[in-house]
Amino acid sequence: MIHTALFTSVFLSFQLLNPQAPTRKSPDGALDRMILGDTLPAVLELEEVVVLDGAAFIKREESNSIELVKQDFIRQNRGGSLMNTLERIPGVSLISIGSGASKPLIRGLGFNQVLVVENGIKHEGQQWGADHGLEVDQFGVDQVMIIKGPASFQYGSDAIGGVLDIRKKAAPQKDGLGGAIALGTRSNNGWFGGSANLIFKQGAWFAEGRITRADFGDFRVPTDSVFVYDFGVKLHDRQVRNSAGKELDFSGRIGYQGRSFRNTLGLSKVSTKSGFFANAHGLEPRQVDSELHDRSSRDILLPFQEVSHTKLINKSSLNLGNSLFQLDLGYQRNDRKEWSQYVNHGYMPAIYPSEMPYSSELERAFDKEVFSFHLKNELFFDRHELAMGASGEFQQNKIGGWGFLIPEFQQSSYGFYVIEKFRVTNLWQITGALRFDQSRIEVKEYTDWFASMENPLEAREKDYLSRAQDFEREFNSLVWSVGVNYSPGDLILKANLGSAFRMPIAKELAANGVNYHYFRYERGNADLNPERSIQLDLSGEMKKHQWSFSFSPFVNYFSNYIYLNPTSELDILYGAGNQVFNYTQAEVLRYGAEIGVLHQLTEKLSFEVLGEYVYSEQMSGSKKGYTLPFSPPPSGILNVTYKPSALGIFGEPYVAVDFRLTAGQSHIVPPEKITPGYRLVNIRLGSAVSVYGQKIQVDAQVQNLFNTRYLNHTSFYRLINLPEAGRNISLSLNYQF
Amino acid sequence: MKFISASFSLGIILGLFLTSCSESEQPAIDLEYPEIIVMENSFPRQCSVFKRGETYEFRALFRDNQELGGYSLDIHHNFDHHTHSTEVNSCQEDPVKSAENPFLYIQTFTIPEGLLDYQASATLEIPEDVEPGDYHFMIRLTDQEGWQTLQGLSIKIE
Repeated sequence: MIHTALFTSVFLSFQLLNPQAPTRKSPDGALDRMILGDTLPAVLELEEVVVLDGAAFIKREESNSIELVKQDFIRQNRGGSLMNTLERIPGVSLISIGSGASKPLIRGLGFNQVLVVENGIKHEGQQWGADHGLEVDQFGVDQVMIIKGPASFQYGSDAIGGVLDIRKKAAPQKDGLGGAIALGTRSNNGWFGGSANLIFKQGAWFAEGRITRADFGDFRVPTDSVFVYDFGVKLHDRQVRNSAGKELDFSGRIGYQGRSFRNTLGLSKVSTKSGFFANAHGLEPRQVDSELHDRSSRDILLPFQEVSHTKLINKSSLNLGNSLFQLDLGYQRNDRKEWSQYVNHGYMPAIYPSEMPYSSELERAFDKEVFSFHLKNELFFDRHELAMGASGEFQQNKIGGWGFLIPEFQQSSYGFYVIEKFRVTNLWQITGALRFDQSRIEVKEYTDWFASMENPLEAREKDYLSRAQDFEREFNSLVWSVGVNYSPGDLILKANLGSAFRMPIAKELAANGVNYHYFRYERGNADLNPERSIQLDLSGEMKKHQWSFSFSPFVNYFSNYIYLNPTSELDILYGAGNQVFNYTQAEVLRYGAEIGVLHQLTEKLSFEVLGEYVYSEQMSGSKKGYTLPFSPPPSGILNVTYKPSALGIFGEPYVAVDFRLTAGQSHIVPPEKITPGYRLVNIRLGSAVSVYGQKIQVDAQVQNLFNTRYLNHTSFYRLINLPEAGRNISLSLNYQF
Repeated sequence: MKFISASFSLGIILGLFLTSCSESEQPAIDLEYPEIIVMENSFPRQCSVFKRGETYEFRALFRDNQELGGYSLDIHHNFDHHTHSTEVNSCQEDPVKSAENPFLYIQTFTIPEGLLDYQASATLEIPEDVEPGDYHFMIRLTDQEGWQTLQGLSIKIE
């Protein structure tokens, strides 16, 4: 089997290479006195002249399994959404809906099990839904740190599966005005977009503004028709009907960078409007007015979603020699609306009543407001580094529209933590962490606006079903983590053992309605306990001559994974005849690994192999023996990169070919389907081009070169066999001044 | 160096353990959807016509590889042609109209325990006073493991 070979070969290569690993005199304790601003500095300001790459430093310091993605990677791999861009990283995959929205999956866990942090504050959208994307302007992203494992001790609840820590560019070093313009296009869905930013610095002050705009049409798939269940749908021009969308983002920052005190205030707004595949609202087959839809591939008709995400974040830091205080304060609002024609499902009346407070086209609305803070104090000693922190959050959630999935709720939480890093010798470091959290959720009652009976004229009060009752739950949790780093010279070895938790969310506790996107009646369980997991992470990285290796295996055990369990039961009253899906808790064992091998054959030519594998199994409950939903299949990338010398006006040219191999996924759980494997070829090339003394960075990509028809096991539309996008050629231009 | 050797030996053992347990005898899990099998006496079929005031017998054969779960029937109007039909051939449809007093029928049924095959039957009464037109007839069938098969038929009430 693939993974047997994978495990053994990599272990053997480590065994062989290990004993000869050279040791290098490592930088001394002064290294600890670095300050992380908004982003990781490429060169750290140190008391002694030690030049070290920020990414490498973080990798040495943290005992978790970490990937760091920089601006160059984002630029060269830019996809329709941030997660598409990051998909190449081993251990990272995505749940996509259409071409412009996607959410992260880290080692097969996603939704509320992966925490996204943007500029120090936890990003709060509608993480629970498969059709809700991540509301982040990818042009404003400078670096992304991906923690491929639980990091609850640092980030709190939801960081049970991993963390995506998104950072903006640091303030410029030089006084004056600067900026950048990026423009791009994508052939598959007629995407046009760009982003422009201006930044001004004067002494200790700086200000920055950015605007991003994107507009795209329906995406194309290599097929003329799809079958939604067994209902055949002809596609016009091979386009996924009504999958067009647009995006408009603004952001601005103003900051003060003193010697010891720094403060940045930032405001941002991400607004998107994107259509759903018109022939399948959710996964329900729909007959549509194809003439209307096919008139233009760029219009956004019903059904569609609109999301606007606003953030106001203030970050301050105070550096008192060996003590660093950081305070992040945040407000965010996620306003999301799903529009579709009214269709009376179940017992809903045939005619939409005119006295309803919502438009007949507003199916669902979610309005979330979140206030959060994070205070951290780091103390730096000779061999110790002690961090203490507290964080808290309050959120209010309102709902609207004629459809019902989750009730309104309020939620508040706070937590305290302490993290100690102890440098035993220059080569050894031990990390220990402890965290306590408390959270409270208050769910509001919800009653149907229609009577659940066949003859509504005879309806009495009791026939209007109560979907949710007022209730409160309180949770608390204590988690710990211990890690060890051993980093002699070119080698970094890490081990981390830690526990993590996740508070149940409103949907898991209180869902009680039919999700017509899937024809299922989802029933929450108010008695759920916080999800708990324990994970062992190992990770090794080594650079030697022209070779570099990385390997990061993990084993993870959940004592009570929260799982939406499909049953054989069908419910008539609350479920309008649909299949009952109950939220339950089950023991789950997961393990897997990522590998990377890079060989720099010559100065210009390099080869790389990347691989990822994850296995999950439910160890108890009624789905014992089954995997978890959205389990990514094993996959790998074989890459060749050629970087010729600069030629004429072309500086730093590169050409890279990725051959992506994805195995089939036969580990499935109802209602999933077995997904066959596929092979794709992607090409990237680019160069800096000098025009009239100005440097313009040009990057091009060809994705899915052979227009291969394939299914992505973790895609939202997988269940209706909608293939992934066909060939795409994208071009982007970047100019910095 | 001892630590490294130890940790990597541990790694190998771990690796072998993990790979071996994924390859060793898996509990036989059910990966098959239940089936709705159209028999000669199955009713309704795609494009069947129901008359108001009359009584009909729903009949279908259900089959599963391990154990059937339950089923539900649902008749709702399709005057706006929103289509649940999972049958490809479409029927002669009346013009689109808005509903005033459409017929609605939702019922769930249990299937006796332990069956691989089940001949389902249920009595359907179409009231006298409902609105005629295009309707959908949905059959939802589950098995014990929670696999669900949907069948949507376009029917007409006259």
